[in-house]
Order: sequence, then C-alpha cells, then structure tokens
Amino acid sequence: MSRALQWIATVVVAALALLPFLPGAVDAYYFSFLFFVFLYAIMAQSWNLVAGYGGQISLGSHAFFGIGAYTTAILWSGNYLWGSLYDSHPNIYYFDPVTMLLGGVVAALAAVIIGLPLLSKLHGDYFALGTLGFGEIVKVLFVNGGDFTGGAFGIVAPASSFDTLRPHYWVGLGLMVATALAIRALMRSRYGLALIAVRDDEMAASANGIDTLKVKVAAFAGSAFIAGVAGSLYTFYIFHVGPDSVFDLDWMLLPLMMTVVGGTGTILGPILGALVMYAVFDLARIVVPDYHPVISGLTIILAMLFLPKGMMRLGAMRRLKPAT
Amino acid sequence: MFNLPPPEILFQLSLNGALGGAMYGVAAVGLSLIFGTMRLIFLAQGAMIILAAYFVRALFYGLGIDPFLSLLIVVPVGLVVGWLIYQGLFRRAAAEADRNVSLLIAVGLMFLVQNLMTVIWGGNTAGVVTSYTASGIELLGVRTSFTRSMGFLIALAGTGLVVLFLRKTIVGKAVRAASEDMDSAMLMGISPHRVNAIAFAIGISLAGAAGVAVATTFPFNPFAGFIFSLKALVALALGGIGNVTGALAGGILLGLIEAYVQFFISGGWTNAIAYGVFLLVLMFKPEGLFSRPYKKA
Repeated sequence: MSRALQWIATVVVAALALLPFLPGAVDAYYFSFLFFVFLYAIMAQSWNLVAGYGGQISLGSHAFFGIGAYTTAILWSGNYLWGSLYDSHPNIYYFDPVTMLLGGVVAALAAVIIGLPLLSKLHGDYFALGTLGFGEIVKVLFVNGGDFTGGAFGIVAPASSFDTLRPHYWVGLGLMVATALAIRALMRSRYGLALIAVRDDEMAASANGIDTLKVKVAAFAGSAFIAGVAGSLYTFYIFHVGPDSVFDLDWMLLPLMMTVVGGTGTILGPILGALVMYAVFDLARIVVPDYHPVISGLTIILAMLFLPKGMMRLGAMRRLKPAT
Repeated sequence: MFNLPPPEILFQLSLNGALGGAMYGVAAVGLSLIFGTMRLIFLAQGAMIILAAYFVRALFYGLGIDPFLSLLIVVPVGLVVGWLIYQGLFRRAAAEADRNVSLLIAVGLMFLVQNLMTVIWGGNTAGVVTSYTASGIELLGVRTSFTRSMGFLIALAGTGLVVLFLRKTIVGKAVRAASEDMDSAMLMGISPHRVNAIAFAIGISLAGAAGVAVATTFPFNPFAGFIFSLKALVALALGGIGNVTGALAGGILLGLIEAYVQFFISGGWTNAIAYGVFLLVLMFKPEGLFSRPYKKA
C-alpha cells in the first residue's frame, strides 16, 4: 500500500467512526447498510486469508460463522460466563469481548480438528469438496443438537435492550479495521511469507524447511477464528440463531464472491468487494424487488467475465494485457 | 440394538433406495464429465435439472406432450444449451489458471437460473401429474412406482450412451484423454475448448434427462436444485471422480445409504451420514470405491 493510500484509508476510517454523531445518521438507511458491509468485509477477509493468501479454497466458512453465532447464543442464553453479575448487569453479554473471543476460539478449534485430517489428506479441489461436506455435517449436527442447540428452530438470545444500532456499527467497523491490520501485519511476518510460499509452490516450500501442514492448518484456523467472531457479531444483531439462517450457504458464497471481485490476496480487495457487491445487491433489492436475486446472479457472472482478477488488480491488468 | 426387519421390507427398502439414487447418479455423470475436462465443480447442475423439470412440466401442461416423450425434445435442447453455456460463460474463464473464476460463474448461473424460475413459475412447489403417476408395477415380487422405475431406466440409458460415446467415438476418446491429462492431450492436437464444450453439452443434456425423471417422480421447487448438486457431488466422490459408470454406481450407493439411514436411524441424520461417508471416501479412497487403484505419476 502506498503512503497516499494509507492516508486515504485513515481518513475514511476516521470519518466512518465519527459518522454516528451526525444528526439523523443512526436512523438513516445507509447506517444499517454500512453495518452489513462491515460484517461481510470481515467474512471476506476470513476467506481471503485461507484462500487468497493460503491458496486453500475453503467452501466451509459458513460453518465457522454459524459455530461462532451459536457459541455466542448458547453462552448468552444459558448465562455460562458471568453468573450472578448477569442479574445486576443485564446487558453484560452485549459485545462482551470474552463471549466474542470464545465464538472465534470455538470456531478455530473446530477448524483445527477438521483441518488436520482434511489438509493432510486432501489437496486442491478435493479439499474444497471436503470443506463443503463438512459444512453440511455441522449444520445437521446443530439441527439434531436437542435442547443444547434448540434443534431446527435454534436459539433466541434473551435480549433486553435494543434501541440503537450504534454499538453494532462501531464494533463492526472496529473489527473490520482490526482484521485488515492484523492480516497485513501477519502477511509481513515470517509466517506470512511461509503461507505465500506454500500457496505458490508447496513442494518448494516444504523443501525449504516449511512445515506445510502446520502453516495451512494455522491459516484455516485463523480464517475460522475471524468467521466465528463475525458470527458472534451477527448474533447481537439478529438475536435468533437458527440452523437455516446462520449456516446459510450465502455466508460462504457472498464473501467468496466479494473477495474475488475485489481482488484475492490483497488487503483492501475484500473490503472494496464487500462494499461494491453489497451496494449492487441492495440497490437491486430496492429498485427491482421482484428480480433482485436475478440481478445478483447476473452481476456475479458479468464481474467474473470482465473482472476475473478483481478490482484491486485493474491497473496491473491494463499494463499487462494477457495474450488471448 | 435393532431388530432386522423381514427380508421383504429390506428388499423393498433397497429397491426404493437404488431407484431414487439413480437420479443422483445421472446428475453425477454430468458433473463427472464437466469436472473431468475443466476441473470445475459445476454447482449449477442441480438448478439445470430443476429448470429441465419445469420445462417438461410446461411442455406437458401447455402442449400436452407426455413427460417421457419430451425426452426427445429436452435432451437435444440440453446439448445446445450446454454448448452455448460453455461458449458464452466459461470459454474465457477456462483459460484462466485461477479456478475461483469459473466456480463463481457457476454460482452466479445457479442464482440466475433459480431466481428466473421463481419469477416465471413462482416459488411454490410444482409437480407433474399424469394418468400413470400413481400406478405401480410388480418387480421381483415387490411393488414399486412406475415413474421411479422409468427414472432408473433413463439413468441407465443415459449413462450407457455416454459410456459408448466415450469408448467408441474418436471425439469421446479425445474427451477422455483431456480428462486424464489436458496438457498431453493438447500436445496431441486436441482443442481444449472443443472437449470442454462437448463435456458441457453432454452434461447439460444429462441434466435434461434427469429433469424428466425428477419431474415425473418428485414435487420440485426452484431452490431444490442445490441439494441435488450436493448429492451428485457425493455420488461423484463415491464413484471416483472422472469415472462415469462409477458416478452412476455412486449415486445408487448413496440412494441405498440414505434409505437405510432413514429406516434404521432417523431421517434427520441422513445428510450428516451421507456427507460423513463422502469425507471418509475423499480422505481414504479418493480414487473412488469402484475403480481399481492405479499408480499415480
């Protein structure tokens, strides 16, 4: 990232952080729109870490999102964390860092457990297929979880007060920025270099003394951690965590699409892709409500036909016109 | 733990499972061909099957064409549509090293087709009811549905034709060569675009044939296709990716597993166990259950 771009990013983030103070902003339509852009950008970063930087195409991010959401809802509705403090502070679970962290940790643990056998045995498309199957299994497990997971209906969080979207907005923005900065720092570290080496040539990386399995499982778990925290954040917005809502395949497909449209393996690409694609979908939802999923489908196809390398690489593509 | 039911019930169960599973099988054969040449997980296959089912329904209620007779229309139309889909949507992406692009085009196509069907025919469950829909036939002493048996025959015939095409014709041999090793096939003068387009054309026409089977057997809605794609993927992995007869056998095996799990355990666990088997096969026998192990280069 050039210095100018860093300045622009800082100014934009500062402006976004101050936006809720603008009179009327909280009730405006674009406020909830931005919250969802943040949420999808976090999910897109999660997928970008394992697939864009790690080269392991995972089709199971919705499973980790759902695990994070369920962890939060279970901790909250069962009051497993705060005991009697909960009685005196009924809002203690709202954006509670410990609860959100646990959402991510449980998702990351699940990723390690499933990632070790999958990543040691499966490569490329087979890994993608395996994660897709894993996602479906997790969904069925939660549907059949009995009272613990609320079965096919799910869990309703015992929400007490909800009169503003401001905290959601700030937490969403903060997490999006934190995720981007963390991944940026990670990719500049020794570990990041190893991850890119594994993506570009696994054999060569391994010949240079990189424990490729460890590197890949770590990326998979890190990606799951981010998705789990995003799922936790979503729980504070939606309150009702059910298998069909949080394990919906859209939580994997849309972030995947946003990342590819924005530019895989870049820091700003997932954020840009989330903003642009969510804007297109939402615009279609408002302008042509009956046809909006048709427009979404068309947009994906057109974006892939004409922007296969993503928006972040538009300049590079023009310079290096590929031979056709 | 549980008592074994009498043999008639066991046989009935197996028959129904196998007949239903053949439909996953025929979808899996199409996926197998497309995956073979393009290395693309064509997630829109299920949506294409449902589209064909709606088409069959429109032919039946609009023009009075018998669903099984409409195979003569649906299969050639599928060939053309498949060819066009490849040339219009995937030709450019096939040249990219980044396979996310073609995967996403398939996803976009799935969204597009699903929702176009919703706009045109509505989101409610639809079906085709003919004079023989409820009739059954006697098969080896067990009664079974006539339409399911016809679906099974369609699956067998479709797979048989594809196998003949791949074994006996020179174009089919080119498709097989390309799925085994695209680079070497190109060195032998095989055009990748041509084999890809042929794989797509056959894949979509098989989706058309499966659509006939689905339309006559099950009620369907525009969003039923995705589950079908997933089941077809499982069948594909069970049979061995790139193995056409294996894909059909994998579908039948999946149908059997589902029938047994539903009977002996519970309907709620069907999917988890089916995908569990899928993961185990991917990990421990990635060449599929029905192929002889071969030495990897």
